[in-house]
Amino acid sequence: MSETRQINVSKSQVPKLAIIALGIIFAAGLFVVGFDQGHVFSLVYGEQAFTDLYIHELTHDMRHAAGFPCH
Amino acid sequence: MKTSLFIIIVLVSGAFAGLVHGTVNFAIVEPYLEQAIGIENQNLFASGEEEDTPEFWVEYEGYRTWQKSGQILAGVILGVSVGSLFGIVFALSRNALPGNNDIKKSLLLAGIMWFTLYIIPFLKYPANPPTVGEGETVILRSILYLSFIAISGFGAIGFYQLSKRLKNNKKVVALLGYGIFISAVFFAMPENPDKITAPMTLVNEFRLMSALGVTSFWASIGIILGLFWRKVFPQQETTHYS
Repeated sequence: MSETRQINVSKSQVPKLAIIALGIIFAAGLFVVGFDQGHVFSLVYGEQAFTDLYIHELTHDMRHAAGFPCH
Repeated sequence: MKTSLFIIIVLVSGAFAGLVHGTVNFAIVEPYLEQAIGIENQNLFASGEEEDTPEFWVEYEGYRTWQKSGQILAGVILGVSVGSLFGIVFALSRNALPGNNDIKKSLLLAGIMWFTLYIIPFLKYPANPPTVGEGETVILRSILYLSFIAISGFGAIGFYQLSKRLKNNKKVVALLGYGIFISAVFFAMPENPDKITAPMTLVNEFRLMSALGVTSFWASIGIILGLFWRKVFPQQETTHYS
C-alpha cells in the first residue's frame, strides 16, 4: 500500500539586511551590558569616562546577576 | 518575510523578555547583591581603604541608587541584544525545528540556547556576587567566559550540521558528539583564577537566584517571540501530514 506524505515547509527567505542589523544590535548590546569599562562614553568624554564608569555602574547589578565577570 | 516586521518583533520580544529578566532580578537577586556589597564595604573599612563616615554613605547611596535603577534598564538592553541573536537563529532554523506551531518551535530553541549558551558555561564559570572577583583578572575572566560560550554554541551548531549528513541515529550522534566535545572543553579550559572569600552560603544562594533570573529570560523570549511570529507571519506555519 502506498503512503501519502505531504510536508508543507515555508520557503520564505530570511532577509540578510535584518540578520546584519540584528547581529550588530546583539554585539553592541552585549558589549554595553557585559563588558564596557568606560569605552563607549570615552568616545565623547575621553579618558575621564574610564574613571566615571557610568555605563559600568548602570549595568553593574545586571552584570553580576546575568553571570558576566565583574569586580 | 518583511524585513522591518521581522526586526520589530524580534526587538520587541527581546525588550519584553529583558524586562521580565530585570524585574525578576530586582525581586530575587537584588537582596543578595546588597548583602555582598555590605561585606565589600566592611572589607574596605577593615583594610583602611575607606572610612566609615557619613560622607562615605552619602556617596554610596548615590551610586547604589544608580546601580539598582539600572537593573531593569540593563535587563531591557541585554534582552534586546540576546533576543536579536535568538531571532536570527530562530529565523534560520525554524523549518528544521520539530513541532507544528511557532510557539513550540520557539520554546524548544530557547531551551537549546539556554542550555548551550548559559547552563554549560555557568557550570564552568558560575555567576559571582560583588566581593568575589579581582579587578586585575576581569579581562582574563571575560575572555574565558565568552570563549566558552562561543565554543559551546558553535559546537552545538557544528554537531547539528554533522548529524544532518548522517543517515541513521542522527540526533543521538549529535547529542553524544556534543556531550563528549563539551566535556573535553570543560576540563581543558582554565579555572576562574579568583578565590572566593565571601561566605559560600551567600555565593550559592546568589548563583541559584541568578540562574532563575536568566532562566526567566529564556522562557519569556521563547514564548513571546513564538506568539509574535504566529501572529505576524501566520502563513509560515509549518504543517506535516503523514
